[in-house]
Amino acid sequence: MKDITISGKKIKLEIIIWVCCLCASVLINIYAIVKYNNSWWELLTQLPIVLLISFMIYFFTGIIRFGIYSIHKLFFRSKE
Amino acid sequence: MEDLLKLNRREFLKKISVITGSTAALASMPWLKIFNNDVYAKSANDKVRLGFIGIGDRGSVLLKNVQAFESLLNVEIAAICENYEPNYQRAIQYTTGKAKPFYDYRKLLEMKDLDGIVIATPLAEHCHITVDALNAGFHVFCEKAMARTLDDTKKMYDEHIRTKRILQLGHQRIFNPIYLSAIEKIRKGEIGQITHMRAYWHRHGDWRRAVPKGKPELDRVINWRLYDDLSAGLFTELLSHQMQVANWVKDSFPTSVVANGSLIYYTKNREVHDHISCLYYYPDGTQFMYDSINSNKYYGCEEQILGSKGTMELELNKVYSETPPSPPAILQLVNDMEKGIFNTIPIGGASWVPETAVKYKGEYITDNYKMDETKLQLEAFTRYIREGKAPEELPIQGYYSSVWSLLAEQAAKTQQRVTLDEKYRI
Repeated sequence: MKDITISGKKIKLEIIIWVCCLCASVLINIYAIVKYNNSWWELLTQLPIVLLISFMIYFFTGIIRFGIYSIHKLFFRSKE
Repeated sequence: MEDLLKLNRREFLKKISVITGSTAALASMPWLKIFNNDVYAKSANDKVRLGFIGIGDRGSVLLKNVQAFESLLNVEIAAICENYEPNYQRAIQYTTGKAKPFYDYRKLLEMKDLDGIVIATPLAEHCHITVDALNAGFHVFCEKAMARTLDDTKKMYDEHIRTKRILQLGHQRIFNPIYLSAIEKIRKGEIGQITHMRAYWHRHGDWRRAVPKGKPELDRVINWRLYDDLSAGLFTELLSHQMQVANWVKDSFPTSVVANGSLIYYTKNREVHDHISCLYYYPDGTQFMYDSINSNKYYGCEEQILGSKGTMELELNKVYSETPPSPPAILQLVNDMEKGIFNTIPIGGASWVPETAVKYKGEYITDNYKMDETKLQLEAFTRYIREGKAPEELPIQGYYSSVWSLLAEQAAKTQQRVTLDEKYRI
């Protein structure tokens, strides 16, 4: 069985992607607060939901990235 | 002993948390002012000695509640009276023979060293026993409703005024911290103008209790609630409680009532209605709708107070705002997106949507507590005895709740709108 090495660079990339997902979630929260005219305190009080949504977005981006990677791998393998 | 009294009072005040420093609350609940009082006519070291007349089911509950605070508040159950042998024997057991037992209440009233009398006899006996007790110089706690007839009810109240002795009726909700909190919020306008009230008490049972074999004459003794000359049935046994709450909420009394009663389920061996409904009108136009039935218990018991800004359900300890707080914006967004993705496309549809009840859980009126309102009212009775007087508001509340319960019965029987005869106005 091959050893799998996850480099520090890879981890850093994943963290950056997740932080982008978190920023997207915060922006969604801000949009919702404006749209439904709720209190700005929800930026803090709804942090757990925002975090949950950020992980969900990260998960879905992960699926998309895996799909792209799989197609890419398949395309280059067949070329070889 | 004085410290124990103060501790109990502090504990009570802490738990209800509506009284201290609140003049508005005290003004609307003057019967609680006693709990802030440091001065008593009868000192904490003097025992308050009570006699109990009528120790059936309810009388036993009252007796046991007093026993729970006997030593704490320096109270003694000195005498008991019951003319039904099984209850008599049971009462002796409850008091472990310490209380002097009587079959005849008049003998009990000859005891000179009693301070107060607790009466829990069948309704039709309330008047003459209470009047005799007041005349004998005792303070009286009498279970609700006051009496079987309007004349007897008035007689009891007049005797209380003449003798200047305490007359407290068994409307325990007056001492319930949830109700006290609710009334304070209502007085402050937190649910706006009270525009409507509803109450109901639905049970499934016929009130009939087993009568010893071969003694049919005991049926009227044991099942007095089912006989028209001894009880007004649901009107006096259940309605009177909630009538008191409605009057307390409105801080006024009705001007008229219409009512209906029917005997449709427990039709055998019963003279009183097993289903009643009433509609009371208050001076400002507020209506109080009430119904009580014996054939279905699904909805249980509740008092609903409907105001322009909110609703209260007192038995559930809940208050609901007319403008409930909206859910978090992000959840609303997720919800709307879900509906957009997953909702079916209607093929035509109604041009209107029925207004269904708002699904909103509301907030609690006050913290949930574990204090027994029956015990609190009896505790207050002993404190009033030490004080030497009780707030006049208490017998007035008891009087009008009894009177208007009896007037509803009258309305049901005559099928007329009934108003209060001036001779019964106090």
